[in-house]
Amino acid sequence: MTKKIFNSVITVAGIVLLASAVIIMGCLYNYFENVREDGLKDELALSAAAVEDSGISYLEKVRSGSCRITWIASDGTVLYDTVTGTKSKENHSGRAEVQSALETGEGQSNRYSGTLLEKTIYYAKRMEDGTVLRISVSSATAGRLALGMLPPVMAAFVIALAMSGMLARRLSRRIVKPLNNLDLEHPLENDTYEEISPLLNRISRQNNKIKEQFKELKQRETEFTQVTACMKEGLVLMDKHGIILSINPAANKIFGLTKDSTGQDFLIVYRNHEIAQCIKNAMETGHSETQQPGYGREYQFDASRIESAGGVMGAVLLVFDITEKVMAERNRREFTANVSHELKTPLQGITGSAELIENGMVKQEDLPRFTGHIRREAARLVALVEDIIKLSQLDEKTGYVKEETCLYEIAEEVVENLGDIARKRNIDIKISGERVVICGVRKLLYEIIYNLCDNAIKYNIDGGKVKVNIEKTKGNAVLTVSDTGIGIPQEHTSRVFERFYRVDKSHSKASGGTGLGLSIVKHAAAYHDGTIDLQSVAGKGTKVQVIFPLCSQNFHKNY
Amino acid sequence: MRSQFDKQLALLNKEMIGMGALCEEIISKVLKVLADGDGQLLNGIVTLGAEIDQKERTIETLCLKLLLQQQPVAGDLRQISAALKMITDMERIGDQAEDIAEIIPFVVNRPAKADSLLHEMAEASINMVTESVDAFVGHNVELAKKVIFDDDIVDNYFTQIKQELIAEIIKNPEDGECSIDLLMIAKYFERIGDHATNIAEWVEFSVTGVHKEG
Repeated sequence: MTKKIFNSVITVAGIVLLASAVIIMGCLYNYFENVREDGLKDELALSAAAVEDSGISYLEKVRSGSCRITWIASDGTVLYDTVTGTKSKENHSGRAEVQSALETGEGQSNRYSGTLLEKTIYYAKRMEDGTVLRISVSSATAGRLALGMLPPVMAAFVIALAMSGMLARRLSRRIVKPLNNLDLEHPLENDTYEEISPLLNRISRQNNKIKEQFKELKQRETEFTQVTACMKEGLVLMDKHGIILSINPAANKIFGLTKDSTGQDFLIVYRNHEIAQCIKNAMETGHSETQQPGYGREYQFDASRIESAGGVMGAVLLVFDITEKVMAERNRREFTANVSHELKTPLQGITGSAELIENGMVKQEDLPRFTGHIRREAARLVALVEDIIKLSQLDEKTGYVKEETCLYEIAEEVVENLGDIARKRNIDIKISGERVVICGVRKLLYEIIYNLCDNAIKYNIDGGKVKVNIEKTKGNAVLTVSDTGIGIPQEHTSRVFERFYRVDKSHSKASGGTGLGLSIVKHAAAYHDGTIDLQSVAGKGTKVQVIFPLCSQNFHKNY
Repeated sequence: MRSQFDKQLALLNKEMIGMGALCEEIISKVLKVLADGDGQLLNGIVTLGAEIDQKERTIETLCLKLLLQQQPVAGDLRQISAALKMITDMERIGDQAEDIAEIIPFVVNRPAKADSLLHEMAEASINMVTESVDAFVGHNVELAKKVIFDDDIVDNYFTQIKQELIAEIIKNPEDGECSIDLLMIAKYFERIGDHATNIAEWVEFSVTGVHKEG
């Protein structure tokens, strides 16, 4: 600003200075020239009069002086010259002023010296006797005058330079000061030059626009944060170098992060080669996914590239918890495998026996043994299919009506039905406790108690004991079946309720049963909102507790 | 100039972490093969080993480029020189993991006691590698010291396994080969522990400027 003002001022000053110098010089020079010429003419006239009057003696008297007077004869020879003081043979008839004086009576000419800095003015006049008197004076040219004026002009220029510098500084400071003090937050409230009010208006408009956009952005960010915060899936946004831009709380939990890791490299935050590779693949190909275990759970990582305007902006990583899905898949696979295996085994026995009989390879006396075998296997198959049907009915959760049922009565019925089997192995089975009534499905409750007691007898030692206890605690009915049997090893206790799961992997038929009993117990208990607690010590015995909620007060009103 | 340098240093850091992640991956795969006998993973281990070698080359080139072009001093120089030393150890970890994977098919029927010990030892040495990389990532001297201290635990396991295997050979001389192979595996894990210790020592050096104090 200062520089610009300075430049303008100095330019103006320079131009004015130069112009005035030129104009003044031109005027003055002309004026002096005229004065001098007039003077010279007068002098010539006087001299001519004097020479005519007194001859050469006059000229001899005026030898000194700034003027040079030459008396030239009509043939051009110099009669006298006041500078040399002598006659000379030099012929002046060729000179322009002398020639014109000889012809017209008067003549004038200017001659410049070699350097152009000086010129000589000649005036010649023909006298009455035909001779010519010439006067000359040397005078400074306009160039010389200009040269002479250079120092003062320069001095003036320097002064102008200094003054315009100072002026420019002060001026710019004065102009800029109110601009610097502008309040750009509230541009319209400023009291300053009216020339800049359009600018202030524009700033004001832009300020408002920025504010609005900022507000909108803020709102969008809040929305985004809220949406991602509520997500169950982990979400990580990162730029193309893998720097985390945003990470939601679910992702923080999955990666076990406690502090905000925005702005850090994802690899530093969670170091896993497979995931890093997955992200890298996504950046290159657009999409990539991988499954990785982490902190005891199974996660699926989906990475996708974010593109904008043809360039890769970054990647988004979605993390799903697929633990349950993986488990369910495993269970289903095992179930299918088990069902086919369980169904096939008795059928093979039946086919084998039937083939032997068909080919007549069975002796008459062995026939009852083989047909008995076929019947037993078929019965087993029926029991198995029945159990599967029960389970699928329980899965459907339909077709059952809840009514007030006494657990103790059912237990008595079960014990009566199982009495024969228990007696065969000399196992003592007893019921204790009180008569507790809950609202439930009689058939299902029977299944629960029957299966628990059946297991307690089946996996007992000969001469062992089975105790069934039913009691009421606050708000709950508790059914306890305990035995003195072989027990379940610790590592199996969590899985015995799975379908076809057997502690004894060989699926031995020695103990009979379908492998679905406890699974039915689990589902039936769940149908009654009951919980199961299993405690077992290998070799000592097992205690299974099923806790049912008691009938709610308004049960009758609902049904 | 400096910002370019910083960028390259960040890249170096990232590559180092990537290499650390590769090392963790390869030994956890080895552990899985050891536990489940899943032969399919063996191919993956070889690929990972090649990847680790490749990574070592990349980091080495990067380090040398940094040294030549930027002429770093003080902390930067320590970091780069420590990185140069560390990748050698990391590469050795990868090699040893591959060596273990090669032996595993020959030790299918191994004695239970030695097997469970070996498992614990493997987990301890993996833990050491993980922690040494963690120490590098977080410039954590305390964690590095813990890794250096933990080396004794792995050494202890090695001694125990050795004794167990000696007893096993005396009992079943005909299964001697399997025992010797197991001893080799244990030795490799012990070496992995040593390399993790080395890494931790270099982490300590890069942070404090003191290598193997006291």
